[in-house]
Amino acid sequence: MRQEHLPLTEGVYYILLSLYEPRHGYGIMQLTEELSKGRVQLGAGTIYGAIKTLVGRKWIVALDDDGRKKEYVITDLGKTMVEYEMKRLNELYENGLLMTKGEKLK
Amino acid sequence: MKKVKYRLYVDYEKEEQWINELAQQGWLLEKFKFFRFTFVKGEAGSYIYRNELLAGLALKDKNEYLQFLKESGIEIVSKFGGWVYFRKKASDGPFGIYTDTASKVSYFNRIIGLFTLLLVFNIIIGIVNLIISGYADSPVNSYTSFFNFAAAILIAVPTIKVYRRKKALQEQQNLFEQ
Repeated sequence: MRQEHLPLTEGVYYILLSLYEPRHGYGIMQLTEELSKGRVQLGAGTIYGAIKTLVGRKWIVALDDDGRKKEYVITDLGKTMVEYEMKRLNELYENGLLMTKGEKLK
Repeated sequence: MKKVKYRLYVDYEKEEQWINELAQQGWLLEKFKFFRFTFVKGEAGSYIYRNELLAGLALKDKNEYLQFLKESGIEIVSKFGGWVYFRKKASDGPFGIYTDTASKVSYFNRIIGLFTLLLVFNIIIGIVNLIISGYADSPVNSYTSFFNFAAAILIAVPTIKVYRRKKALQEQQNLFEQ
């Protein structure tokens, strides 16, 4: 695999995962904490900056806000990026097993 | 019960630390203006405070950002001179505004940019006043020039500190992703 897609930060990865269903900022924060069992805690400033960048790259879109909290959802392009990242993480994991335990998955 | 304290912190992180120490003792920040901080008596350790420099953000972004923070359960305590103090209930767990290297570095860059601008501005005005004072009869310009240079030094200290913090973070980035 050539490095055509750069590794995502943990924050961006979890934000994208959270947005497979529409969520607002606070919802992203809570789900990320829950999924990572409290290990990854995203600050509001970090999420806000990441959301702006992700909207700019069209990896996520804002849903029409009805005056209440603004919700976001992942786009097809965003999903593609998540899949690339999962492949990369899996490669890291498999190679880790191979070299440390001599195991090969499947 | 209220308490007023006057403090001048050159380093905004130290100031935030001081505010949090007082909150631990049950003195909750209510308002700040220049060097004047007003506290009200409350439950000790009930809140965590964070400050942030908002200056340098466009007005529309600033409002949108503050709205976003409010929706995340963060309370805006007091705003003054481009700075803001936030707080969140300590029972909600750790409270940080910027939690990863990338966002911390871009915040530091915003601070460094703004402080450098202020620094250069004060040096230039200081030099101009110094030159004028050579021709003027009144000592006003030499006094002003002195204050400009003093301000420049006061701004230089935190600028260098923030720059070092940024460098340390970037060094860490060579090893770790976060």
